Parts: sequence; C-alpha cells; structure tokens
Amino acid sequence: MIEFLKRLLRTPQGAIGLFVVVLVLLIVIFGPMLAPNDPEKMAPLARYKAPSLTYLLGTDQYGRDIFSRLLIGARATVVMAVLATIIGTLVGALIGTTSAFLGGRADEFIMRTVDAVMSIPSLLFALLVVNLLGSSTVNALVAVAIAFAPGMARITRSVALSVRKQDYVNAAMARGESSAFIIRREMLPNVVAPIIVEMTIRISFAIMLFATLSFLGLGAQPPAAEWGLMVSEARRYMHLSAGILIWPSVAIAIASIGFNLLGDGLRDALNPRT
Amino acid sequence: MTSTPEMPVLDIKNYSLDYETANGTFHALKGINLSISRGEILGLVGESGSGKTSLAWSIMRYLSKNARETSGEILLGAKNLLTMSDAEVEAMRGQRISMVFQDPSTSLNPTLSLGTQLSEVLVRHRGLTRKQAWAEGEAMLAHVGLKTPADMMRRMPHEASGGEKQRVVIASAFACNPECIIFDEPTTALDVITSRQILDLFVELQAETGVASLYISHDLALVSRTASRVAVIRRGEIVEQGPVQDIFANPREAYTRELCAAVPNPSRRLVADGVTKTEGEPLVRVENVSVHYGRKPLLASLTGKAFTRVKGNNAVTLSVNEGEILGIVGESGSGKSTLAKAMTGLNPFEGKIWFDGRPITGLSDMDTAYRKDVQIIFQHPDASLNPRHKIGEILSRPLKLYGDGSNIAQQVGDMLEKVRLPRTHADRYPHQLSGGEKQRVAIARAFASKPRLVICDEITSALDVSVQASIVELLLDLQKAGNTAYLFITHDLNLIRQIAHRIAVMYRGDLIEIAPATEIDSPERADYTRRLIAAVPLPAGSQV
Amino acid sequence: MSPNYLLKRLLMIFYTLFVVSLIVFAITQVLPADAAVMMLGEHATPEALDALRQTMGLNAPVWVQYGHWLWALLQGDFGTSLRTGQPIGPAMFSALGRSLLLAFLSIGLMLILAIPLGIIAAIRRGKVADIVVSLISYLGVALPEFVTATVAVLLLADWLKWLPPTGYVSPTEDFFGAIAHLILPVCVISVILIAHVSRMVRSELVDVLHTDYIRAARLKGMSRGTVLRRHALRNALLPTITIVALDVGYLLGGVIVVEEIFAIPGIGRELIVAIQARDLPVIQAGVLIMAATYSIVNFIADMLYAVLDKRIQYD
Repeated sequence: MIEFLKRLLRTPQGAIGLFVVVLVLLIVIFGPMLAPNDPEKMAPLARYKAPSLTYLLGTDQYGRDIFSRLLIGARATVVMAVLATIIGTLVGALIGTTSAFLGGRADEFIMRTVDAVMSIPSLLFALLVVNLLGSSTVNALVAVAIAFAPGMARITRSVALSVRKQDYVNAAMARGESSAFIIRREMLPNVVAPIIVEMTIRISFAIMLFATLSFLGLGAQPPAAEWGLMVSEARRYMHLSAGILIWPSVAIAIASIGFNLLGDGLRDALNPRT
Repeated sequence: MTSTPEMPVLDIKNYSLDYETANGTFHALKGINLSISRGEILGLVGESGSGKTSLAWSIMRYLSKNARETSGEILLGAKNLLTMSDAEVEAMRGQRISMVFQDPSTSLNPTLSLGTQLSEVLVRHRGLTRKQAWAEGEAMLAHVGLKTPADMMRRMPHEASGGEKQRVVIASAFACNPECIIFDEPTTALDVITSRQILDLFVELQAETGVASLYISHDLALVSRTASRVAVIRRGEIVEQGPVQDIFANPREAYTRELCAAVPNPSRRLVADGVTKTEGEPLVRVENVSVHYGRKPLLASLTGKAFTRVKGNNAVTLSVNEGEILGIVGESGSGKSTLAKAMTGLNPFEGKIWFDGRPITGLSDMDTAYRKDVQIIFQHPDASLNPRHKIGEILSRPLKLYGDGSNIAQQVGDMLEKVRLPRTHADRYPHQLSGGEKQRVAIARAFASKPRLVICDEITSALDVSVQASIVELLLDLQKAGNTAYLFITHDLNLIRQIAHRIAVMYRGDLIEIAPATEIDSPERADYTRRLIAAVPLPAGSQV
Repeated sequence: MSPNYLLKRLLMIFYTLFVVSLIVFAITQVLPADAAVMMLGEHATPEALDALRQTMGLNAPVWVQYGHWLWALLQGDFGTSLRTGQPIGPAMFSALGRSLLLAFLSIGLMLILAIPLGIIAAIRRGKVADIVVSLISYLGVALPEFVTATVAVLLLADWLKWLPPTGYVSPTEDFFGAIAHLILPVCVISVILIAHVSRMVRSELVDVLHTDYIRAARLKGMSRGTVLRRHALRNALLPTITIVALDVGYLLGGVIVVEEIFAIPGIGRELIVAIQARDLPVIQAGVLIMAATYSIVNFIADMLYAVLDKRIQYD
C-alpha cells in the first residue's frame, strides 16, 4: 500500500489528483461542519455581497453565503457522482465479464446490443430516465448509472478478453481449475486495475453530467445547494454579480479535474511495467 | 580517400557508455575496443543485456537522452563520430553506415509501400529524382533475389512475407554502397529456412561489395559459420575477441568456454538411446487429431457459398512412450502448439487421443486423473505466471487440486528445491525473478502432480543460451528421476537433436514424418525434413 | 474492404435502430402520461377519452402498438405531435438540419485546433508546450458545456458586447448575422472535443514515434521533419477518425445543452421541450433520429478507416 502510494505520487498527475480528490472528499465529509454560515438562510439586505471576511466568496441573489453553499453542495454533487459511477461500473463490469466469458455468438449479441444502447447520447439517456422516473436526486443517480453501464461493459469486456488470452489463464484451464476459480482468482485481479482507472476518470464525467441535469432542471431541485443548480439559478442574476456564477463553476471544474488527474495517475501507478 | 587497406573502416577505441537511471548510473559499455576492416565480417556475440545493441546505437549515433559517453572515440575512416553535428550524422546514416534490423515486420512502416521506403533512401542520399529512384529500386530488388521486383515495389508490407520484407530492408541498407553495415540479429525473427536464405544472401552481397560488417547475434552457431572474427561481449565488456577458429577451438576465457558449451550441438547427445523401446501400448496415442479455426462469415452463410476453415492440425497421428522424449519441430504456423493445446483441452479437436489405454474425445473426457498425468509448460514464463500471485500461491494450486493439500508450505519449499531455487522464493512475485528463474517455477508447477507426460511448448526459446542449457539439464534430470515422457515442441533443431529420442516434423498443420533423432539427418528423410536440417547452421567444430 | 464487412456494418445500423426503437418505445410506455388526456385536456369526459383511445389504438396490447408505430415509421411516418397536433417528420428534419450545421461547424473547428495542438504536444514531449497543451486539455474536459456557455455569454455578450447572447438566424436570410449567432455555440461545443481529441492525437503520435519503423527511418538518414510528415503523422492520425466518430455521441449531448442555452431551434431543443411536455411521439422520433445520426457517422468513419488503412483485413 505504501509502495503503491509512492508510485502514485511519483507523477504530477497522481500527486495533484490525489491531493484534490482527498480535499474534495474531506469537504464532502466535514463540509457542513466547516460552513461558517447557514447555507439556506436568506438575507434580503445582504444580497450580491462581494467577498469579505463574513462571506468568503460573497453572497447570492437571496443573500445566502456562497462559500457555505459550496461546502454543503459538495455532498449532493460529488457523492452522487461517485455512487452513480460505482453502480454503473458494477453493472457494466458484470455484463462485460459475462459477455467475454460466454464468447462466440452470445458475446457478439450482447456487444452489438451494448453498441446500440451507446448510440443514444448519455445525456439524452439520462434525461429520458429522469423524466420517466420523475425529477429527483435519486432518480438522477439511477439515470447516470444506467447511462454509464454500456461504456463500462465495453471496456470490461475488452480487458477481460485480453486477460483471458494470457497463458496463466490457459495454464489454469489446462490444470483443470473450475470456471469460478479462473474468473475469481486468475482473471479478476488483473481486470480490476484498468477498470478502477476508467471508473475514476468517469467520476469526473458523472460530476459534469449531474450538474448538467440539475442545470436543465431535471436533477436536484431548489433550494438545494447543488453546484449545477447554483449555476443555473445564477444565470438570471449574473449581470448583477459574476461571483454567484463563477464560484460554483470553479467548484465543478476543480472536482472534475481532480478525478481526471487521479485517474491518469492511477493508470501509471497500476501499470506493472513502469 | 581516407581509408587505406591497412586502416580499419570502423575503429572503436576505449569507448564507454553510461545510462543515468532513477536507480543510479548504469555502465552499459566499458572500454570497448573493436575494429572492422573492409571486406571483413565481425561477429558480436552476447546474451540479452550484454550491451551489444547499445553499441549499435552508439555507432549509429542514436542514443537516448539519459546516455552519457564517458570515454573513447568511434572512428569512421578518420572522422570521430562523437564530434559530428546532427546534420553530419543524418548525412552519414544510410549513406556511410547503414543498418539491418531484427524484425522486418516492425522495422517497415505498415502504411507505406515497400518501393516508397526503399526509394526514399536513394532520393535522400544519392540525389536521384523519385522516378530514377523507383527504377533503381526495382533493379536492387532484383539484385537481392526477389522474383517480381516491379510488383514488389508496389506492395504494402503486409502483402509481403517476412523473408521478402527482410530482403527489401537489406536492399535499402546496401542502397548507397555504404562503408559499413550493422546487422542486428537480422534472422532471429524469421523461420528456419527463410533465415538460411537471408543469411546466404548476406554472405553473397558482403563478398560482392566488400562492405565492413558488424554482425550482432546471440546465436554462436550462426556467427561461427558467417563471421571471420568474433568478439564476445558480456555486461558491457568485450571478454574475448579473435579469429573464429581460435575462439571456438580453444577459448581462453571461462565465459567463452561456458557459452560454447551451452550451444546445442547435435553431435553431443544428452539422452541414452534405445531405452524406451517398450513393448505394448504407448503412453499416449494421438489418432487423426484435427483442429480447425474460424467461423463461417456472414455473407458466405447467406449466399450458401462454401467456406473452408483455417486448418490448425490436419489428421495428426503420433504416439509417445512411457519415459520417452518426443520432439516436435516445425516453422511458425506449422501447428505444433495447436496440437499441444488440443491435448490439454485448450482447443476443441476432432479425432481421438488414447491416454494409457483410455480414449479421450474431447474436453469432457479430461478429468482430474488425466489433468494430473498430463501437464503443460508454456513459452513465456512472464505470461504463464499470474503477475499478481506470489510464487508460493502459484505452486500451491496443483497441490490443492491433485494432492492431499496438507502441509502446503513444506511441499512448496520442496518443489522449489527440486528445481534448484531457494525456498525463500515462495514469498516473491514473478516480476522479482529473472526469466530463467520464472521458467523454473513454471516447471516446478508442472511437476507438482508427478505427471507422466509433460508438454513443453517452446519453453527455452525466450531464454539465453546459458540459461537454456541449465533448464534443459534440469528437465533431463527430472525426466530420469520420474521416468516422465516429454512432448518437446521447439523450432531449435540443434537442441532437439540433442535431447529427443524421436523427432516429429510438422509443416502447415500436417505431420510430415517421425524419425529417430539420430537418423533425422539421413538422406532417406522426406524432402521438407532435409531442407529444414540443411538450413540450420551447426556450431563450428561439430561434425556435419 | 470486403463486401462481408460492408454488409455486417450495414446490418449493425439496422440492429442498432431496432434496439433503440425498442428502448424508446419501452420508456415512453412507462411514462406516466396518457396521450388521450394530453390531447383532450384534464376535464374531458371518460367516454370521450375512451373513444379517442380506441381510435388511437391505445387500448391494444403494447406489442401491437409497437408494431403499428414501427410500421408507420418504416413508411416514413413519425406520427403527430400531441402538443402541436402537427406531423412530426417535417418539423424534426428541419430542426435536425440546424443541429447538424452546429455539429459540423464544431467538428471542423475542433479538427483545425485539436490536431495541431496534439502534434505540438507530442513532438515537444515533456517541454513547456506539452505541459501547456495538457493543462488546457485537463481544464477543457472538466468544464461542462453549460458552464462554458454561461461564462462565455457573460463575458463576450454581456460585458464586451461583441456577440449576440442567444438566438438563431438562418444563414440563407442573413449570412453574417447567422455567423455571429453561431460563433459562441460552436466554440462552446468544441471546447471539450478539442481537449479530448488533442490528448488522443498526442498519445497516438507519441506511440508511433516510439515504433521500430520510425527508428529505422531515422537510421536511414531521414530528417526529423521528413520522418514526422511522411512516416509518423499518417499512422498517428488514422485512429483519430474513430475517436472523432465515437465523440459524436458526446457532441450530440452537448448540442442539446447548447441549443437550450442559446435558444437555437434544433433537434436538441425540440427534445427538451418534448420531454418537459411529455410529448411521446416527438420524444420517440427525436431519440431515434439522434441514434441514427450517431450510427451513420460511425458507419462512415469505419468505412473511411477501412479504405485508408489497407493493412487490416476485415472479414
């Protein structure tokens, strides 16, 4: 574990990514405790305030403290993105491994179907599912998870197929090991690494997708402190104060960049050849 | 002119090269002294990591950024290459020194025609127009023995065979009449017969042009038959150099002696003959086994067009006796590995395998008893050992599958000792072991169940000669101890003639013939067998 | 390229559209919207609703409804919008035209910028130029379209007043007006694509520059420039075709957001309106058209690749 961390910190992507992601996760956990002001408290007299000691990043159109809202909002945006990606990855990995293991016509059928599903843009897919289930955070989570599953299935399958061709799997088959053993002990440990990398990078997509859904009014609902929703609400007032638009945008970008960098860092760190 | 007959074309004096790595300085080359004169072939022999390729890059001035040249000079004529400017180096490459590479399938650009890649050298260095260069290129391809040069010029690399491609590479190396050519293992990636043809072409062209040649190889037998002088390199140092006969007849250094002794030599048989002529049933009998690959394409099945599947094996019949070593030789694609896979249930097959009197017709017949008795070892230990499992875990699997599963740690240690590895290796991961050590682990895994037949699929071909010799010695000891039969698949004819009782020759999925190892070079053998035997250079000093 | 491959790819398009039609139909069936209620309003009598359901075939089993819908679709009839009562086909296709204009301009801009950026980063690997390009691309992929769009409108339209903030002008009516209105949306859509594609071009080119044949060409005395132009670029840029085609899926998602923000009457906006109004036939048609666009683009890309890269033997 220590050695792995060292490898991760060796590349700038890994080091910065890990730092940002840890910071974001800390905010997710401790954000509500750290928030200096009540994020929901409206103050008609303190609207569009510039950053000050009381309001570190200023206030929004209702006089709410932007900094506190960002700290609280991390939960809505980041936790949902991570959860949705994990669920999507698990479903996709299951489909992908099954397909690779079955092989032949069944594999072809599953993969062509996955391709077909992928021809619907993820955002559109998420919009449809949210609309079907009704706009809410949980439904948005399900939508993003479903939208991610086909892509992850594809990646898992190609990784699993390349592992399946390895001689250590052949050796296990020639030895007469059971299919369950081969999948669980020989293949899985070698399939997991690239999938974790891909998943980490996809978390950043999920963050953006969630924000976009909220922006379009199909994710979190006001007065929630979701970052995408904050941008959406700020649009009408951006002429009055750019801060209410800029800060949530920056928060989305930082969280997304962090996971992206961490994914690239993990790719190098998990590669046994480097 | 600067080079007179007395003066060497290429003269390397006290040359040293370091690489700066994260783990400190690595001395790749130490005080190298070599010279090649006009008309001479200098063979440079060394095992992997000896620095032979680093030397080639130094001469070509193609060094990585972390390379530091700490001493010496490389003289081409009177000019020191180390002081050349980038422009001078570019003008020199391909013009005064050129190079032939190991693998023609990777050293040619897959998206440019062979003609384009040949003629661009002529345009660059001889100032021809593209049209002139193309015509000249055609003439050159004819000269290197290609039958249809005009057609070959237009072909893409994937439309030509390995041998044809290597001829094109050789043509471009000779294109500008260079003073010196470096041959970096030019036949290693080719099949036996093709590689002999390429070697003959090289000798012929070299004699014709008198170009000073540096022939880099790991294959002592091959170098002893082509070079006039040999230099042996080890860990960045020239151990010994001199005329071929001297080096091979009476090597002065211990390392050279070891290396010479490790080279497989058919006249030095390592197994006793005749002991396995047992009466009665053989241990395994492969009866009309065929393997097919591929699926019918969609269009063919729609239009009802006939479709012939790719043949891996075509009704192969052979048998192995108890305690016998049966060698299977053939070029790549001859179906030797396909047979190994069929016998271990990794390929579906048609036909029948009789094992110890029991018929096996498919995967479902291969029960634990069969698995226990028939084990396989693969070519690359890197691939056959799971990189995320410790050695102890890898070796414990057969014990749990076939044995009583008690006292695993003790048994794993014993297995490691049996293949002459320290017991402590059980705690290591494969990547912490050398190639030879990894192959020993794979051998230990195969022998854990005390099998009666072990299929060895090219298990020494990824290893250096000295490592190969020790692995072969281990295998023979294990064979004698357990009276195990081997199906030894290889493309190395000299090796198999040393260790096999009988040899089966395969060609494009067909079994050509089976003959006793001692009679494989008899004139009564099949045509293909004779061509194969004739193509393999025997080590210097051995009786043909 | 063999006829086999062509046939297989063509069949794949049909299969894709079949699967998508199933999904879309399934989703719209589960939607808690009753077409009859939508057409007649909340206060219609149960009898009237029933009669309408009967004529619309809504009382038939689901698979019969699907069959009818698919059969009409195959004859080019997308049905009528529940919201406007107009036939869907003509409206959708003119909206698609506007979206495609946006999409093609974005791909064009992306190619013009992403390829040179990727090449520069690859040949200056580890140098300042490489680091700058990779910083740009990390930032680019991290900004969702609605953020870049909103910030761009704030900056270039509201503060600097260089460009019109939103709206769409037909290029046949007012060419320069159309250009002015398209600049912001096209730039916004391109950002993520540029970031992604330039990174892919970089990594492809870095891989190619490390191959044996590039080394062999250098050792034949070819200059760096010649080797790059003649030997490396071709091979590195070929896979870009596939990458760009796959990115079209992402691009279509971006188009939806951008059309919504810039009030461009394209297919994305039609879809958003339809989804919000639960206008089932329009949703069905819109999703199907989107999927078809994606499939056809990928089909063309695969054909192009097969023609340009003669190495690969397709079966």
